[in-house]
Amino acid sequence: MAANYWESTQRRYWQFTKEELAAMRQKLEDEDPNLVHMYPLPQLRHINIYLNQQFNRLAKRLGVRQQALATAQVYLKRFYTRVEIRRTNPYLLVATALYLACKMEECPQHIRLIVQEARGLWPETFHGQDTSKLGECEFFLISEMSSQLIVHQPYRTLTQLQGEFNLTPEESQAAWQAINDHYMTDLPLLYPPHIIGLTAILLAITCYNRQNAAGGANAAGNSGGLVMAANALAHAQAQSQARAAAMGGNSGPGTPNLTPQGSFAGGNFSSQGGRELGDGSNPTDPKIAKMQRFTNWLAESNIDIEGMIDCTQEIISFYDCHEQYEDLVVRDNIKRFIKARGLDK
Amino acid sequence: MDGKRQHHSSFQQLEKLGEGTYATVFKGRNRQTGEFVALKEIHLDSEEGTPSTAIREISLMKELKHENIVALHDVIHTENKLMLVFEYMDGDLKKYMDNNGERGMLKPHIVKSFMWQLLQGIHFCHENRVLHRDLKPQNLLINNKLQLKLGDFGLARAFGIPVNTFSNEVVTLWYRAPDVLLGSRTYNTSIDIWSAGCIMAEMFSGRPLFPGTTNEDQTIRIFRIMGTPTERTWPGLSQFPEYKANWQMYATQPLRNILPQIDEKGIDLLQRMLQLRPELRISAAEALNHEWFAEFHQPAHPQHHPQQPMMHPHRGYQQHTVPSQNVYGNYQG
Repeated sequence: MAANYWESTQRRYWQFTKEELAAMRQKLEDEDPNLVHMYPLPQLRHINIYLNQQFNRLAKRLGVRQQALATAQVYLKRFYTRVEIRRTNPYLLVATALYLACKMEECPQHIRLIVQEARGLWPETFHGQDTSKLGECEFFLISEMSSQLIVHQPYRTLTQLQGEFNLTPEESQAAWQAINDHYMTDLPLLYPPHIIGLTAILLAITCYNRQNAAGGANAAGNSGGLVMAANALAHAQAQSQARAAAMGGNSGPGTPNLTPQGSFAGGNFSSQGGRELGDGSNPTDPKIAKMQRFTNWLAESNIDIEGMIDCTQEIISFYDCHEQYEDLVVRDNIKRFIKARGLDK
Repeated sequence: MDGKRQHHSSFQQLEKLGEGTYATVFKGRNRQTGEFVALKEIHLDSEEGTPSTAIREISLMKELKHENIVALHDVIHTENKLMLVFEYMDGDLKKYMDNNGERGMLKPHIVKSFMWQLLQGIHFCHENRVLHRDLKPQNLLINNKLQLKLGDFGLARAFGIPVNTFSNEVVTLWYRAPDVLLGSRTYNTSIDIWSAGCIMAEMFSGRPLFPGTTNEDQTIRIFRIMGTPTERTWPGLSQFPEYKANWQMYATQPLRNILPQIDEKGIDLLQRMLQLRPELRISAAEALNHEWFAEFHQPAHPQHHPQQPMMHPHRGYQQHTVPSQNVYGNYQG
């Protein structure tokens, strides 16, 4: 997508701290506590998983490419930081966000076709919608996003750097999958796309193994890999600090200013932080060499390593929480408020 | 975010400035500040929601903030209308040439200032990976401080090269690059440079350089001056969809004979912009460093062009370099 991330509206207006995000959401709930009380919802990540599935189903029917699907999911996330979900028909929003994202990503879909497919997918909750409702909703969506529609995605970082790190096709695939999965978390509202892209590459290098090809970068099943990922980041951080120190302590505005391994404290990684890379593994393992190269690159590039550590943890904890996900619970909860409030008409 | 949500009624609608394919543009006045604005009213269509061109333009203008790109102040949503509030510009380059030129010809120092500003705007777009794709004098807006700004991004990047879709509206071919005329689909930033070259020649001479009427005629007019290319001068030429083996063969004419108004350095720059082969065309960044612009390269003598305060070509754009692998970190914080 066009334009430069560093000057972008994404960076200026749509990247939040966790506290800001929590406060915005709290504010929406506080506006009508009764509504929140009457229609309880499961945890946000489970709602996101459910909505992600709905996006995927609709996109598959329409043959929409991944980039547009990703943009649509970011639109919906942005929208729901401004509007309480219980005031909306999420199915209409999913269809509209996809429609708008397709226009933006230069693969437009006809409005009639989208409405028709959405009706087929969600007969109970979408039947009352038509093209004019979708057009209206598009207007609403654009307005709530302050017409800031250009989204920078981590896929670009991956395609730019997969050569640099000699990723195998399987590793690239795993990183791609990790990026797809991160749209079910808050990460797109918290970190720049290149931090997420690099985290996905890290997870792919450390956690991907041939026996578990189907799992992609599903990190939860591979704790050895996670330790390695954590170590790699700690290592890169220490290296980058050493470099900064060597340059006369003038670390410049962009250099992360952390205590070594500080961010691992309290996480899964605390006991492992600071040990040598690939602890206990065969040092000639090509995976180790790859890891080494990645670590050096990180240290030299002045990347926000602390951000990567946080992203890694978010993605891992997401995979954990995915295991308790129940499709029907979310669906019924959403259906309840749609029906009770007549949002399907 | 935008902070304010303004209402339609906060602007007084004045005379109509123009009518485009998907919008009507009015002059407006901000009731509170008295400031003039351009109000672009988008016609909504129930069959396609908000027009793609409008969405494209709005979203790009939200990202592209530069002194040589017309500023989008606000987007106002009403019940069923979309109103874009742009900074007001007094006119466009076409009108400026008609009204202030001598038989359309502008004075050399004005041309140079306009070209400098045009290339600054183009450079900013390109480094943000945006192609304008429809540069022409009517889309270059001029204010009474003689600032030039790129406008009308409705066709930028999104939907292929503009075609003649509406019978009453002829999309001009005059500024279209030869590779595009030959059917190339892999065009890039160089197409905007070609247009800029055509515009430069027109400002000097007062007449369009290649005023073609059809695709074919446009191509031939270019060849008549730039010379007919061959597979030898342009490897791969015969692979273009619109390649004709029986083109009339023209010899290259020296541009200085056709445009005697232009000084030698100016001709050199123009020559580099009007290369038939897109890969040989000068980039916007290189053009800004061309010695024809030497006076702008000296920050010590700002009196030459007081209307253009940011004259140093390196200031402002190096820090915008598209992030590559080894510069990510420089942008943190």
